[in-house]
Amino acid sequence: MERWALISGLKGDLELYEQIQRDLQATRGVNTLFVLGDVISPDRNCDALLDRLQNPKRGDLRPNCIYGWWEEQLLAETGFRGDRKADALRLNHGEEVVDALLRAVDPAHLRWLVSLQFGFVELDCGLIHGSSADIGDELTPETSPLILIDRLTRLDVNRLFTARSAQQFRLELTGGGIDSHVKALGGEHKQQQPVPKRSVIGIGAGAHYTIYDAGSDRVDFLKAGAKAVANGRGFG
Amino acid sequence: MSHAVISCLHANLAATEAVLADIDRQGIEHITCLGDLVGYGPQPNEVVELIRQRQIPTCQGCWDEDIIDGLNSCECSYPSQLAERRGHRAHQWTDAQLSEENKAFLASLPMTVRRERLLFVHGSPNSQHEYLLPDMDAFAALERVESSGADTLFCGHTHMPYVRELSGGSIRVKVKQAGEEAASERKLELPMRRIVNAGSVGEPRHGSTEATYVIHHEDSDEIEIREVAYDIERTCRAIVDGGLPEVFAWRLSHGFEYAERADDASHVCER
Repeated sequence: MERWALISGLKGDLELYEQIQRDLQATRGVNTLFVLGDVISPDRNCDALLDRLQNPKRGDLRPNCIYGWWEEQLLAETGFRGDRKADALRLNHGEEVVDALLRAVDPAHLRWLVSLQFGFVELDCGLIHGSSADIGDELTPETSPLILIDRLTRLDVNRLFTARSAQQFRLELTGGGIDSHVKALGGEHKQQQPVPKRSVIGIGAGAHYTIYDAGSDRVDFLKAGAKAVANGRGFG
Repeated sequence: MSHAVISCLHANLAATEAVLADIDRQGIEHITCLGDLVGYGPQPNEVVELIRQRQIPTCQGCWDEDIIDGLNSCECSYPSQLAERRGHRAHQWTDAQLSEENKAFLASLPMTVRRERLLFVHGSPNSQHEYLLPDMDAFAALERVESSGADTLFCGHTHMPYVRELSGGSIRVKVKQAGEEAASERKLELPMRRIVNAGSVGEPRHGSTEATYVIHHEDSDEIEIREVAYDIERTCRAIVDGGLPEVFAWRLSHGFEYAERADDASHVCER
């Protein structure tokens, strides 16, 4: 059965990636690795990690990567997003950080980075760095459930795995509903729509990652080099 | 006080004149227009100039935007390649006809118009290209209104007038975070909100040939959907004489629901 590891926010840290790979090799049954973006950052040279992601070593669980917020900024700044530049990065961190990001990644990696997708839909799950609305969308346990339903509805998935907030959580929609009354020239229509039984899962970032068992719907929140710190199976 | 909301005039002068006359007959002084002044129809300059002359507050529609920014609508605007080709022909025709002054006016239009807790947009608060259909997911519909900080959201774009009230809503959630022993639970009570689609003045697609618009009776907070007959033949003749695709005249004269819309209401234009 499908058992996934979901990681994000490596930010150029090859040692951390190798530690997570060692953890996964010691974890029974994990057969797929998803990397939900932010593999680069301006804080260090990212070339070694990018090489490793593109050319896995023997024994590595092969990474399935999507792009994250930092990749989006780099691709925008280097002309891969039309007229847009790294405006969000420039606005929040300044010109120096834009320059540092450009220095952190060899341009030879741009071809691979630009090939990465916005997200994956696997089984009935959406896997995205931010959300279906925006790469920078930070979904947290405090985010309005109305917004979470919208993000799930846009992808038409039952579970949305997100990384942008860097938090590890599982939020389940458990009940409720809404009345809809439509009046048009052809008549009126009333409907009660229940809240769909869906979940949003924050997978963490950096050393904090998540294991998901699709068969049992179990979520385990882990830290690289440590044992499981929590599990989110059905909330007992 | 009453307030009229019109949308999707689509360069149909006869329909625009008839609707404005209907509004005038009722003594309504305040009108808001939700855009798409041009496209499909044969009198783009005349319609834009009429709106300018009447000084009607107007937000920019997707056709108004495309005439200014170039034809770059994403595929969600057209359900088929045939419809897309027709749309492109109409775009080129309109672009050639429209005066620079009127293009500048369209370029100056805001994305939204707000009056206290009423928000006026062409498609949705997210995009001029997003369709808020009457049967779209009720929670997603409420999110569009709530996220924009409005009580009532006036939109157009679908060419089908409706009033949708979303009420009595609640959402219960369970949250478990890493490192916490137990899950926490909470319940969100949702506010009552309303979406009003003003239909279309110049390109009705609600199953009838008549132009549609809405009146907001502010004292009672009631919404009235109006249908107005106009000289369809005059517009159809101008479409054919002007060299636009004849199917545009055919669908006006038949009032057929010729749905030029995305199949997926939840799809959001990403361009």
